[in-house]
Amino acid sequence: MMLKYRLLWGGLFYKKLRLVLSVIGIIIGVSSLLLMNAFGEAAKIRTLKEIETFGPEVLMVVAGNVRVSAGRAIQTEITTTLKPEDAEALQKIGGIRFISPYFTGDAIVRFAGNTLSTILNGVNEEYLILRKFSLEEGRNFLKDEILSYKKVVILGNKVKAQLFGKENPVGQTILINKLPFKVIGVLSPIGIDASNADQDDQVLIPYTIAISAVYNVDYIRGIFISVEDPSNLHFIEKQIDSILSKRHKVTEKNKDFTIVKAEDILQAKTQTTNLFSSLVKSISVLCLVVGALGVTAIMTLAVNERKKEIGIRKAIGAKERDILLQFLIESVIITLLGGIIGVVLGVVLTLILLPLFNYPLIFPVIPILTSTGLTIIFGIFAGVYPSYKASKVDPIVLLRSF
Amino acid sequence: MGDKIVILEDIQKTYQIGKVPYQVLKGIDLKVEQGEFLVIMGTSGSGKTTLLNIIGLLDKPTSGRYFLEGEEVSKFDSKKLAYIRNKKLGFIFQAFHLVPWATALENVLLPLLYRPDGFSKNDEKRAISLLERLGLGERIHAKPKELSGGQQQRVAIARALITSPKLLLADEPTGNLDSSSSKEVMKIFKELNAEGLTIIMVTHDPEIAKNGKRIKVIEDGIFVDEKQI
Repeated sequence: MMLKYRLLWGGLFYKKLRLVLSVIGIIIGVSSLLLMNAFGEAAKIRTLKEIETFGPEVLMVVAGNVRVSAGRAIQTEITTTLKPEDAEALQKIGGIRFISPYFTGDAIVRFAGNTLSTILNGVNEEYLILRKFSLEEGRNFLKDEILSYKKVVILGNKVKAQLFGKENPVGQTILINKLPFKVIGVLSPIGIDASNADQDDQVLIPYTIAISAVYNVDYIRGIFISVEDPSNLHFIEKQIDSILSKRHKVTEKNKDFTIVKAEDILQAKTQTTNLFSSLVKSISVLCLVVGALGVTAIMTLAVNERKKEIGIRKAIGAKERDILLQFLIESVIITLLGGIIGVVLGVVLTLILLPLFNYPLIFPVIPILTSTGLTIIFGIFAGVYPSYKASKVDPIVLLRSF
Repeated sequence: MGDKIVILEDIQKTYQIGKVPYQVLKGIDLKVEQGEFLVIMGTSGSGKTTLLNIIGLLDKPTSGRYFLEGEEVSKFDSKKLAYIRNKKLGFIFQAFHLVPWATALENVLLPLLYRPDGFSKNDEKRAISLLERLGLGERIHAKPKELSGGQQQRVAIARALITSPKLLLADEPTGNLDSSSSKEVMKIFKELNAEGLTIIMVTHDPEIAKNGKRIKVIEDGIFVDEKQI
């Protein structure tokens, strides 16, 4: 049985350089297709994971105008009109579960000669529960600490690791913008959230001390709100809108705040993810088309070169169909060979590159199946023309040329 | 003598070269009997190769009738012709035309690939014994380029014989060989003929032609002379 296949396709490996050249295009096409598909899948998973830290029951009031773009809430204009009192006023709304004022800024933190620049977030004691952040060590803020401007800090996981290494920081004192703060807790690793901020690279302090002592302002950047029942979200959103509009004496036209929901972020994010992945998918399909055309070109060349072999096969009894099939399968073998190498390369690249770009690690099963399937289809498609040409070779070439 | 294996009746072949028709064969009548060794002799351009193409079912006549073992093959379609070529004919070419990437043994086995019933267990043994008989027992795994011209032509003969053809067609089989290899190949032809194989050989070389039992001379698309040896 082996003999039969050897006699049919032994010629494939006769011209090795040519085989390698025709396979390379396919390898590039398939591996990029696989890689892009895997990135698309990983991006989807990442979006879903990110949204988890910004659940469907969470609302955010942001000072100024905010445009949700590429999955981020981008503040296009900063206003100073949102005050801590606004947050207090909103507490009256029924159906609100947790509420936390929010101020964010850059900060230089220092401990025992280690200095690093990070993000400082001023919040209250409800923030951790609201965002579903858990603590690796220590404890949450106390309500009293917020009200009495206590200089206490909860460290993000990376900040803790960089300042303290493996030591337990609870009870130690660090400097934030030169002010001493007592460490009371450390966040568990969270990763990147829906706003694309690395939640491990931050420090949390009471918002009261943040605006008064650290930044010396009288306004906040936003208010995080979670509701008891997500189905009430729209109703509560409307109430927030009317209360704040009244307090700020603004109308729909000159509004100085924006309300952002998880829904908005998710929508924008999936939109961009989809756009991105359809773009790269079409590019990599294009790669595969180019690869397939390369196979066509080289196969056509090979048919010309192997006219005599085809003539011999015909003279000794091969039918047109036999020749057509032989070259069609030859083309599928070439593309499949490239496909297999491409898949292996693509998987290796995926497993290396996904963690490098902070994407969740997935084993790209569906991308493997789709790229293999596409390769076979493109292999047949690539072989049609040269195979047809081969089947039409006239065996009388044998008796004329020598 | 026995049955007629080949009967040609008024075979004509016209090629269209541009707009000008060019008649290569101008009415060939030929009867070849079982067990003959016929030589068709002619200069280049005489039409001898075209005639061999037609007898070998590689080309179709423009007009005329061709019977092979009583079947009118000039009416067959290309699929059926491929089958007849595989089953009844063996070809020997001037330039050997071995498949370059295959070994001697694989080249010999190649025609069996296209036999409807495929390979059988004995085929490989048969191929090896054919090669042994032709003095290539040591070289069965050699590639064509590792073989001398005479050896290559002997592989080609083994390839032609593996299907046990009724008719062996040879186109200038010694054209690319030195004189000692030529003699060897002709000796093989004579042996095969003595065993009952019908051979039709085309050549321009009168010395080689003498090996045949009957010589027909073709000139300008028509037979002009015949001699029995």
